This record gives sequence, structure tokens and C-alpha cells, in this order.
Amino acid sequence: MKRRHFITSLAGTAAMVGALGMGLATTPAAAFPDQPITMVVAWPAGGGHDTVTRLVTEFLEQELPSTVVVTNVPGAAGANGVRQVEEAAADGYTLGVLGLHATAQSYMNENATALDRLEPLAVINIEPAALAVRADTGIESFEDFLAYARENPGGIINGNDSPGGFSFLNAAFIENTFDIQLTKVPYQGYAPTVAALVSGEVMAATLPVPMLADLHDAGTVRILGVAATDRHFRVPEVPTFEEMGHDYVITDYVMVFGPVGIPDDRRAILEEALMRAMSGEAFHERGRNMGLMLQPGGADDAAALMATMDDLIYPIMQDAGLVTVRAR
Amino acid sequence: MIADLFFQTLVSYLSMPQMWGLAVLGVTIGIVLGALPGVSSTMALAILLPVSFGMEPAQAMLFLIAVFVSSVYGGSISAILINIPGTPGAIVTQFDGYPMAQQGRAGQALSVALLSSTVGGFIGLALLVTLAPLVANAAMSFRSPEFAMATVFGLVLLSFASGGSVFRGILVGAVGVLLGMVGFDRLTDIGRFDYNTRALQAGIELVPVTVGIFGLAEVLRNLSAGPQGIPRIPPIGRLFLSPGALARLWAPVARGGVIGTFVGAIPAAGSAIAVAVTYAQEKRLSRRPEAFGKGEPAGVAAPESANSASVGGSFVPMMTLGIPGDPITAVLMGALLIHGLRPGPMLFANNPGFVAGIYVAVFFAIVLTLLVGLVFMRAFTGILRVPRPLLFTIIALLCVVGAYAIRNSITDVYIMLIFGVVGYVMMVLRLPPAPLVIGLILGPIMEENLRRTLILSGGRWEVFIERPISLTLILLSLAVILSPVLAAGWRRWRG
Repeated sequence: MKRRHFITSLAGTAAMVGALGMGLATTPAAAFPDQPITMVVAWPAGGGHDTVTRLVTEFLEQELPSTVVVTNVPGAAGANGVRQVEEAAADGYTLGVLGLHATAQSYMNENATALDRLEPLAVINIEPAALAVRADTGIESFEDFLAYARENPGGIINGNDSPGGFSFLNAAFIENTFDIQLTKVPYQGYAPTVAALVSGEVMAATLPVPMLADLHDAGTVRILGVAATDRHFRVPEVPTFEEMGHDYVITDYVMVFGPVGIPDDRRAILEEALMRAMSGEAFHERGRNMGLMLQPGGADDAAALMATMDDLIYPIMQDAGLVTVRAR
Repeated sequence: MIADLFFQTLVSYLSMPQMWGLAVLGVTIGIVLGALPGVSSTMALAILLPVSFGMEPAQAMLFLIAVFVSSVYGGSISAILINIPGTPGAIVTQFDGYPMAQQGRAGQALSVALLSSTVGGFIGLALLVTLAPLVANAAMSFRSPEFAMATVFGLVLLSFASGGSVFRGILVGAVGVLLGMVGFDRLTDIGRFDYNTRALQAGIELVPVTVGIFGLAEVLRNLSAGPQGIPRIPPIGRLFLSPGALARLWAPVARGGVIGTFVGAIPAAGSAIAVAVTYAQEKRLSRRPEAFGKGEPAGVAAPESANSASVGGSFVPMMTLGIPGDPITAVLMGALLIHGLRPGPMLFANNPGFVAGIYVAVFFAIVLTLLVGLVFMRAFTGILRVPRPLLFTIIALLCVVGAYAIRNSITDVYIMLIFGVVGYVMMVLRLPPAPLVIGLILGPIMEENLRRTLILSGGRWEVFIERPISLTLILLSLAVILSPVLAAGWRRWRG
């Protein structure tokens, strides 16, 4: 793989040298892309966003003549990485991935990027919210959960992100929609939240399915429902909240985006390459193995998904007092 | 049954030349990447992850684990030779490793680090193999209140173990804790001490601070001394400590190994914490605490044992619960998932062959790291024979690269430069720099867990004395604080 990069760049260099030698290098917009593309991940190496991105990148490189380099720019709840892409030259050589965190941060942090400064290019996967409880709570169903919460306001100790994180928004969404009150305990990321659920420090968690599926199978925790329109393939026996008759669909996602103003022809090349990269069976098999709900979609799908979730979480954030800048 | 499978797998790997090749390749890459400042073990794995996509699952696992294990040792090489930790796990190794190298004992420091890493690695592996479920349970009983009190204990140990003035140690440690508060609050995501600037919102990263305060400050000190003032490094003598001196390191290495495994097994703790606690503890327990920071081999041995043992420890939550113990195992887990191998609670029952494969890979990686490390040790020390003006130029360059690479952020380079100056000033004022780094590691964890405990308890502080482990840690902390007072009182009473 390293060698392939080397050979491609060698071939590229040779071609350039050849073209220059023959005095033919007169058309600057000859072939896009002819230099490496940077893919910014706003979270540390090894996180969920990072692994997904490296998977897509691996396949994307087979569809493009140039290499794609993943760069991790973590910090400030994802705001730094997103901003780095926003401020990059809109030449198509700097792209990034983002999730719902970008929407949340845009309302919480003056220094975060406003959503209209971003241009979605393609959806990679969605990560629907779910609700799980420890098996020893005796809570068997979502109805039990609601009953318990109504009897004991604040009695359900829920593990989630710090405010603005997806699992926090999910918990706040449940509180708003079903008019209950949870004690929301913040953890730094999903893994510590799962650990807290397993150790019994918290009794419920509003995490997505992949991290909980094995514990659900082992009987330690019980996933009560999935907040998507379809059941999750990792736990096909768990119903969606829609099936239970509740209007409760909320999903995080990973999508590729760029700065505003990438020329149309380049954007089309990138979008098409991304869609081709995500169409193969090998890509889908690896994604499934990772527990990902792959849902490849182009720029329009990406923009629509971002807008839908924006409309959904804005009122929750407003209720939670999290909207401090760019109020709508 | 696992033992049988372990030996079967081991024998089958040993009989396959391609496995040898991959493991040696992985170990060599791991040592080099680990030694490069700014390339952490996590980053080394993330960079090599796509390379492993094309391999068979067993090969990919062996390759990545070889990189992981060897990068932990690699981090100590740059710490010892040029005073910059190669990985966050080597963050305290240079406290004593670099002074040893300056005294012409670079070979000894490297060999102590290598041997301790090997022993620590085996301690971690042994505990993983024999006691994984127990260690997982113990780690699970270690929750927010225990975490908070353990960090308090670590800070107390540190302050009271500083050679020379206790108050200087506490002062510097407190500054470290304060620095840890800059940036987004861990519980509310609200910016603190950031003056609403983008630069400070991401907080003050450990690695740029350490690189600046140790690496760049050392360059500045040598610059200010002028060409004549630079002390010559005595010729490198023996590569190994005498057997007697090595034997005396058994206790620190064993303690470091056990602590490392355990801390590694606690999700989200990480090896930086393991080494910080281990170092503070060894300094406290030592009969010669004043020797620490001046080239005490135990100050290298214990943390190096701890960071290598934490490898085994970090596999515990991955294999028993299916959650990554730290960012490094998160990358590893991602790689395994891509190959369709799903670590988790069902693993031992459903796929014992896979379990044995992981154990063998760790075993193989530890042994090969030892061999490759021994072969190249003399060559590593050759770095010190580079003419000093050239060497310091390279070090300054590596400081910049290392600070930038950790988060791809130019802000981190500025932070490194500032702390380079701070480190130099501290040297002039004879303030110990180590407590600052340890305060920066432990402070945020203490604050986060203290506040979370109080959220969980509804504001009741009694929880800390109601939970046995937490209570024990409080009593230990008190004992450390009060022992000098009590000892003085006892002496006075005796007349």
C-alpha cells in the first residue's frame, strides 16, 4: 500500500516532468485531482470517526488518481477540525468528516463553524440512537422505563456525553418528548460510558447500538429500543421506537464535507468517486463487521440529513439552555 | 484449554517464516515510530491500520500488536537520549533516563528500560492470561470516587516525595493542575481560562508541554552555557548495570508491572497515568528519594515496566467487555472488527483460538522487542556521539515536529515554545519540572471524577468514605501527609 502510493506519486512526477519537458503544461485545470487530498478528522486517531474515515479512504484511493491522507485535528469537541476545513482553500484538496457534533457546536461555541459555511458531499453511515438499561434494574421494556421514570423523577441515572454530545442530546430528547426527568451523568466518550453501565455506576445509557450489542447478547444490559426507521442489524430482535408507536427517530451520522465554494466540476468528481468507493461489496462487508449502519448517499442526501437533524436537535438544545450563539 | 491453544498457536507461528517476518517488521517499525517524538503508539497504529487491511486476520493481529508493544519501548529511547518522550507513556522516563545518559550511562538507561519493559510486558501478559476476568472485575469496582481519590493520592505522593523543598514541589504541581483546567470543561463542554480564543479552547496538551519543558529547555540551557560551558558526556561505558544493581530493581519493576496492568485495565485511564503514579510511588518508597531526577535507575525501571504492563492490562476490558481500554486498543479493536473478529464478552466461549492468537502475538512481540532492542542498543547510543551543536539543532527541530504532530496544530508548537522558556526559567530557579507534568496528567482526571461523583451522590461528600477502596486511598494519603509530623512528634516525645 505504501509502495502503491510511492509508485503513483512517482508516476505522477514522471508525467509532470514529461509534460513540462514537452512544453505541454499549459492547461492548469487539466486533471483534478493531481495532488494528495487531505481528509481532516476532528477526533483523535482510533476513535469512531477515525476508523470509518480510514476505511472509506482506503476505497476512495482506488477511485482517484491521487492519494488521500487522513489528518487528525482533535480539540474543542470537534470544532477545531471542522474549522480547519472551513478555512482551507476551496480547491477540493481539503475535505473533512463530521457528525452531529458540528451542528451542536455551531450553537454552543462562537469559534465553531456555522453550518452554512460547510458543504456536505456524501453520507457514509448513520448511527441511530438507542436506549439501554442494566438487566438487573428489572426494566424489561420502554414502557417500564417510562413508568419507572414517572414514579421517580430523576431516579434514572443515565450515562451520556457532556452537553452537546450525541448521547447527551439523545437523553435530552427523551426527556422532552416523553416529559420525564433523568439524572444525566457526563462521561468523556462512549467507552467510559459503557464501562460505567457495566460497573453499575449508572443504570441506563443513551448510546448507539454497536457498543452495546455484545453486552446485550451476553445479558448484562438490555437494549430497549432503537431510534431509527429500521431495526439495527446487530440486534434484529430489538424493536424501533416507531414500531412501539413513538415518534422518536434521532440519528448521528458521519459525512464527508468540504469548505464552501469548491468548483462544481471538482465537487462532482469527488462526490462520484466517494459514491463509487462506497458501492463495493468489500466495503460493505468491512463496514458491517465494524457494526456500522452504512447508508452511502450523495451531496443532496447529506444536506437533507443534516438539515433534518438540525431541526430536530435545535429545540432540544434551546430547552437545555445550550444555544448561546447563532440563535435561529 | 487456553494453555493448550496458546502453545499450539505459538508453535504454528514459529514454524511460519512469514509470521516471523511480519513480527520483526512490526517490532522494528514500532520502535522507530515510538522513538519519533509526536508519533504516539496510537498514531503509529492508526497510520499502519490500512496496511493491515490486506493481511490475513491472524497476520494483521500479530503485526499490529508487534507495533503496539514495541512502540512503548521505542518511546523511552528518545526520552533517555534526547530528553523528549517519544510517546505519552514515556512521559516520566526522561526524569532519570536523561540524567543517566548525560553521565555516560546511556547504555545502562536503555538496557534498564528494555529489560524492565520486557519484564513488565510479561507481568501484564501473565495477569491478562490468568486473571483477566478478575482484573476486569477489580477495574470495574474502580469507579469515579476511587478514581478521584487515587489521583489525590498520586498528587500527595508526588508533593511529599519531591527531593528538596516540599513546598516547591507542591507549588509546581498546583500550577500543573491549573494548566489542566484550560480549555473545554470535561463535564459541561464550557470553555474555561481560554479568553474565548481558538488557541486555548482545545486545552493545553500534555505532549507539547513535556517536549518544551524538558527537550527545548535543555537545548536552551546548553545554548546559554556557551560553547565552552557544554559539559562533555563521558564516554559510554558498560551497556548493562551490574547484576547486583539489576537485582535491586526487582521490586520497583514488579510494583510498576502490577500497577501498570491494573491502571491499563481501567477504561480511559491510559499509560500516562500509570507511569505518573508509579514514579511518584517509587520516589516515595525509595530509601534515596533525593536521587530521583538525577539518574536513579529505579526511576526508569518502574515506569517502563508500568507502561509495558499496561499493554496487557488494556486488553482486559477489550476482551472481557468489548470496550477499548484506551485509544490504542480502540485502533486495534477497529482493525479486528474490520477483519470480522469481534472482541467482547462472548469471545472466550465463541472463539478461544482468537484469544490464544492475541496472547501469542503479545508474547511474540515482547520477546522480539527485547531481541531487536538488544541488537540495536549500541547503535542507539551512537546518537550521543553526534557533534553537540548538530545534535541540539536536531533536537530543537524534533521538538517542533513532535509538538505539531500530536494534534496537527500550530498552536501546540507555540505552547511548546512557551514551555521551553518556562522550563529554562524553572531550571534557573531550581524548581522541579516533574510535578508540573504529573499535575497536568492527574489534575483533569481528579476534577472530572470528583465532580461526577458529586453529581451521582447528589452532592453528598460522604460517598468517599463509604466506599472501601476510596476510604483506603484517603487513609493512605493522610498517612503520607501526616507521617513527617507524627515522626517529628514521636521523636520529641521520646526526648
